[in-house]
Amino acid sequence: MTLILQAVLLIGLIGITIAIIFGRDLMTSVVIYCAFSFLTMLLYNIMGAPDVAFTEAVIGVISTVFFIIILRSIDRKTK
Amino acid sequence: MRRAITIILLIVSITVPFIAFDVLPVIGDPESAPNTHVSDYYIEHAIEECNSPNMVTAVIVDYRAFDTMFETTVMFLAGLSVVIILANRPKSRIPAPESLKRLRDTSGRPVYTTINKDVMISIIEPVILIYAMYVLFHGEISLGGGFQAGALIGMTYLLDIMVVGRKRPIFNLPKEKSAALAGIGPFIYALTGFVSMIGGGLYLEYNKMPVPVHQAELHSLGITAVEIGVTIGVAGTIITILNALTERISFDDDNN
Repeated sequence: MTLILQAVLLIGLIGITIAIIFGRDLMTSVVIYCAFSFLTMLLYNIMGAPDVAFTEAVIGVISTVFFIIILRSIDRKTK
Repeated sequence: MRRAITIILLIVSITVPFIAFDVLPVIGDPESAPNTHVSDYYIEHAIEECNSPNMVTAVIVDYRAFDTMFETTVMFLAGLSVVIILANRPKSRIPAPESLKRLRDTSGRPVYTTINKDVMISIIEPVILIYAMYVLFHGEISLGGGFQAGALIGMTYLLDIMVVGRKRPIFNLPKEKSAALAGIGPFIYALTGFVSMIGGGLYLEYNKMPVPVHQAELHSLGITAVEIGVTIGVAGTIITILNALTERISFDDDNN
């Protein structure tokens, strides 16, 4: 069961990474990046490191907000 | 061309971890390298040597105290470098994007479309702060510790700026003060080490601190002092980066 869950999460991570790289809208990329850190948090929890998972949850939110602040000053769309 | 390079890099960075995954030891394997040397020592001696109920805390702030100390210093340096790179540039005044203009009425005053922000912030912020304090002082027994508590305090400031605006946050910490705060954190950590030296111990040897309490309590006191230092350092760093990021952006019609 844990292995299946781990496999689903890892495949999800790869899919999210591809979506971030090829996304046209940077805002979408930033929001999907937040989902990336959420999946990483679940993976840490499965691996038995709730300490690291807690840190990842908090830092994921903060870094997302940092990215959004930066996005206010540049163009949202990629060429 | 660039897309082809991206795809090649992507394939390499996906396949290499999969190959490396075979070489990694299984989680909990008793024959793997770290489990044959240090882990046994930690498991056997952590309780009697460190008087800490949580072995993770014993390893982080006791056996590897120097590691954690210089980690905090690296955080401080990261915050400083962001300030140096971003904040000393001339302010770029750019036209407000369409998405922001739609939020203002004809006289230029912002129109909010969310629920009452003051009510929201006054409910959420104290809860986050209390939780940060719980994580800080209960961290040596349960999950958490200084880093997480500092990140939560930084998040409170972030919420403040997001909801109330940069000009009127509840805790007003300008760039210089928050950078000083980020430096005070590692300073408190290093000072704890010197306090234990005054009592005749080694640097960061908590149970030699000259405070008249029981040995086990002394240890917990030392860990708490160190964690407070980490908390202040991390919170200061996050607020410094946030100030540096928001300071250089100002919109043409930014008048609130």
